[in-house]
Amino acid sequence: MATLAQAPGSGSAKPVKYKNPLAAEDAIAGWLFILPAILIIGTFIIFPIVLAFWVSLHQRDVVGSVDNWVGLANYQDILSDNADFWIAFRNTAWFSLGVVPTQTAVGLFLAVLANRKIRGKTFFRTAFYFPSISSSVVISMIFLWLYQNNGLINFIIRKVGLPTPKPPWLSNPKGVLEMLWTGIGWDSAPAWIAGPSVALLSIMMLNIWTTAGTMMVVFLAGLQDISGDVYEAASLDGATRRRQFFDITVPLLRPVILFVVTLGFIGTFQVFDQIYVMSAGGPAKTTTTLVFLIYTEGFKFGEGLGYASALAVVLFAIIFVLFLIQRRLVEKKD
Amino acid sequence: MTHRIDSLALSRRALLRTTAAGAATLAAATIVGPGSRTNRAAAQDAVTVRLVSPPSSPVERGALETILDEFEAANPGIVVDYQPITSEYNTKLQTDLGAGTAADVFTLDSMPAPDLMAAGVMEPLDSYMSEAGITAADFYPGLIQAFQQGGVTYGLPKDFSTLAMVYDTQAFADAGITTPPANWEELRTAAETLLESTGQAPIVFPPSLDRYIAFHYAGGAQILSEDGTQIVIDSPEANAALEYYYGLYTDGLAATFTDVGAEWPGDAFAKGLASIVFEGNWVIEFLKTNAPDRQVGFAPMPEGPAGPATMAFTVCYAINAQSENKDAAWTLVNYLTGAEGMARWTSISGLLPARPALAGEYVSQFPDREVFVTGGEYARPWQLGIGGEKFNIDSKA
Repeated sequence: MATLAQAPGSGSAKPVKYKNPLAAEDAIAGWLFILPAILIIGTFIIFPIVLAFWVSLHQRDVVGSVDNWVGLANYQDILSDNADFWIAFRNTAWFSLGVVPTQTAVGLFLAVLANRKIRGKTFFRTAFYFPSISSSVVISMIFLWLYQNNGLINFIIRKVGLPTPKPPWLSNPKGVLEMLWTGIGWDSAPAWIAGPSVALLSIMMLNIWTTAGTMMVVFLAGLQDISGDVYEAASLDGATRRRQFFDITVPLLRPVILFVVTLGFIGTFQVFDQIYVMSAGGPAKTTTTLVFLIYTEGFKFGEGLGYASALAVVLFAIIFVLFLIQRRLVEKKD
Repeated sequence: MTHRIDSLALSRRALLRTTAAGAATLAAATIVGPGSRTNRAAAQDAVTVRLVSPPSSPVERGALETILDEFEAANPGIVVDYQPITSEYNTKLQTDLGAGTAADVFTLDSMPAPDLMAAGVMEPLDSYMSEAGITAADFYPGLIQAFQQGGVTYGLPKDFSTLAMVYDTQAFADAGITTPPANWEELRTAAETLLESTGQAPIVFPPSLDRYIAFHYAGGAQILSEDGTQIVIDSPEANAALEYYYGLYTDGLAATFTDVGAEWPGDAFAKGLASIVFEGNWVIEFLKTNAPDRQVGFAPMPEGPAGPATMAFTVCYAINAQSENKDAAWTLVNYLTGAEGMARWTSISGLLPARPALAGEYVSQFPDREVFVTGGEYARPWQLGIGGEKFNIDSKA
């Protein structure tokens, strides 16, 4: 990989003199070829990142009438005790912890199924992948109807004769673990282990359903890289299908699993569209995620653009740290 | 066979080319921005005034375009470039103002108005108004006050909506209620009677501030102090109002629209899931379209301990402080909010005229809206000072 990325003359430590004028021309041509990419990435990615960091050190509104240097005050506000940041962080963490393992497991399960020689394999692959390529806004709106008080989900629950949640799914701020704690008689459980609200859990279900298909496709590619000989040898040695799965498939898929989990964490920490369409952060802020908080703080009037930028920088730091931890964990085992 | 494949390949390439060209054209069109109305600029030296607003319906958009055509005919020197913005209007307006690319004339809701007035991006209109002989007294006080800050007027109201009690006359008759409840006690009694006769919670309201606030004010409670610098929401009056309102819910006399499986209270009323809702005049057209058979009556909001109270939801026309065509922009604003233009606008759109002088004529055209118009006399603006918009959004989250 590294050798491929090396530009002529940039690989060695010593400064290189072009003996051949053609080499210099090559370098110029090379720069010219990547110039469009540099311009686009520089303008739309590098510059905004630097600008966001710069703005995060200011108190500022969108209109531009207020622009005061405040240093690290925005970061202090974020980390202060009563900040919405902690609510959003908790919601996002629950969201990630619930969604990532589930969608990875479901994706792997679907991939193993769809990798078998069964009839209608193509149909199943397409059907499982379909939610991933549909517009998230459209899917969110469909789920909005499904979750309504007299929507399809409650209709089925009523048909079976079970009680439907009241208030209905997306308007229910009650924590699911909190309900469990009260169920076993522990009435004074602290808020941070109340778990995701029923509303957030409903959105998590939607997210698992849409993303599992994407993960399935990645796992399918990984599965096809595993040679059939390994399984053949294992079955000759008398390994059951179960053992083959846990002792061959899973270890050999480890890099793919790392990729899927990393992708999952990044994706779930950036969840926005579903929240925006389905709950707008409510009820009682139980579905306010970090990116949704960035959006409301930044664009909904007031002087929160700097605060929102600081939140974005903090979010970047969180994702970066998560990624480093994951890498470390996987590399150690190798 | 080979020939067919060749032609197929060829057509695919042609298709690709056309698609690429099409995409490029589309992109270019998006960047340039669609001129929604055909600009038949008559004179060469005509001034173009750019106007943006979020039309709430195709009907409203059509009505505005009609009015703008009439304005252009009457003012040959001015061409109006109207750009409707259908979603995220406030966000777009803010970023455009920040980037210096905002329109010459824009509409603005009462709730975010204090933030933008304080930001200095709206042109003060007082000198234009005095020159044209227009005073604040020409408008309902609850409307024009929403667009004044520090004694300066920054916008003129284009129209408004108020809240009133919408009730099912059939259900009232079946339950033996002859007159609509006029105060809180009567409302409670009526709701109890209706609950017995219909078996469902008669009142449907949303669990949000924009309806409850009318009860808050009717109970004599405030949100901001007189000078707007302090939050005074915590008071015995506020407690009493909240206890009354929430008491209707806990006693099963009221339900939220999600409880009954509707999209909003008006929808619950249309579906027969509510006998009383507190909504604005927009509900009239909605019910005509969606529930033409429902027997519907309108009455003022029930009076609380502190007398009658209702909310005015209003929008103003304002001039961008950075506009290069302020005089032409004022001519447009003055036409749209003036007696003649507003009478035309409200007669076509059905929205309520912000000028009390036009009320009589309007009510003779739309008799069913009388209650909503008279509410304008004591309505308070839907506004909570600087930061109110953010608070409102936060309160919904």
